[in-house]
Amino acid sequence: MEVILAIAFYIGLALVVIGAISDLIGALGMLRFPNFYVRLHAATIGAIGGAVYPLIGVALMSPSLTSLGTYRWYLMGASLVTALFIAMAAPTGSHALARAAHRAKVVEVYPKVVDHLEEDGK
Amino acid sequence: MSKKNLVITSITLTSIVLGLIISLGVLGPIPLTSIRPLGLFYALFMANRNITIEVFPLIVNPGNFWAASTEAITAILWDYRGLDTLFETSVFFFAIIGSIALFRFTEKEEHEIRKKTHENHASEGKYLGLSLITKTITKIILFTIIVVSAAIALHGQLTPGGGFQGGSAFAVAPLLAIAALSRFYLDDIGFKKNTMLLLRTMGLLIIALLAIIPVVAGIGSWQAYIMQNQPKEWAIIQLFPPKGLGVLLGSLVYYNIAELLAVGAGFTIIFILLSIPEEFYKKIIEKEGVEHG
Repeated sequence: MEVILAIAFYIGLALVVIGAISDLIGALGMLRFPNFYVRLHAATIGAIGGAVYPLIGVALMSPSLTSLGTYRWYLMGASLVTALFIAMAAPTGSHALARAAHRAKVVEVYPKVVDHLEEDGK
Repeated sequence: MSKKNLVITSITLTSIVLGLIISLGVLGPIPLTSIRPLGLFYALFMANRNITIEVFPLIVNPGNFWAASTEAITAILWDYRGLDTLFETSVFFFAIIGSIALFRFTEKEEHEIRKKTHENHASEGKYLGLSLITKTITKIILFTIIVVSAAIALHGQLTPGGGFQGGSAFAVAPLLAIAALSRFYLDDIGFKKNTMLLLRTMGLLIIALLAIIPVVAGIGSWQAYIMQNQPKEWAIIQLFPPKGLGVLLGSLVYYNIAELLAVGAGFTIIFILLSIPEEFYKKIIEKEGVEHG
């Protein structure tokens, strides 16, 4: 049992580190990417990679944190539920944003390779 | 180095330096560990137990130190500032009454609005609401918002939160539903204006009754308190569960549930009314003006 807990702890730790790296990448993308839609992608890296993964990591780490007593199970449950809801809500949010921006034609798609949505709308 | 990078670097450096300065105590003394008993005093004070005797034997005056709630903010709100909160609720009550009076529609007119909006959308070839992805996820999120708002309200006597906060969180649900799913979805799941009005009136009635019950029960004796939260040792009327029942003490729980109903339903009414397309209600109001004026 202790071995399993230790493995879960280190996997969790790795996920938290991955989350930090994703946040960094997302921040860089926000600054460097050329237009709204690609920057939205960078923002979602920050939301999924930078929030969902670390939360799952915390959930995996929490059973080992015996100093928290029974509260570690609250921590685990809350992290998992929050991760689930961010994983559902963040892509939906960016989807709605991108769709609204495209439909309202407030953002020019540039540089553009292909825009199927625009072709469908014609 | 470009201007943008310069700004970012300087902000980062400033925050690091400020953090160092504060932690070194240059800007002022950092609270010493010896101040911690004060925090302990507040914590115990809020716990409503006569622990003062054990921990602070010098300031013992049992019965004088008593906060009437397990949570600091609600203690102040309900036993010291209860009447203030009562009047806040009244202001909210009148605000909603005013809005409903402004958007005065008969049942027939409401039916007309509903029909016209439907026709309008059909004629423009638009479907209601956002894309399928957004709609599906919004339905799931709606359920969670309602659960969370209930949790905020039901934990109000223990943690920061309470009825108004729970109700405000609840109000996000109809707003989200109107944005993502259209206001007809609200009608379909039973969030009708009149249902909400009923719920809100019910909540306000419960609040009013709970506030007045101790006073009515105290007629004939002198010591009864309006909006009494927890039983007071020196009051003759011991209305709500006596001490010793743990955290579910006091009338606060009932106030919070009622306030959740009142505030949540009140905001929902406002959002439903505001979501009526302007062209329709303006037409109806104008028509009325022509008829009567």
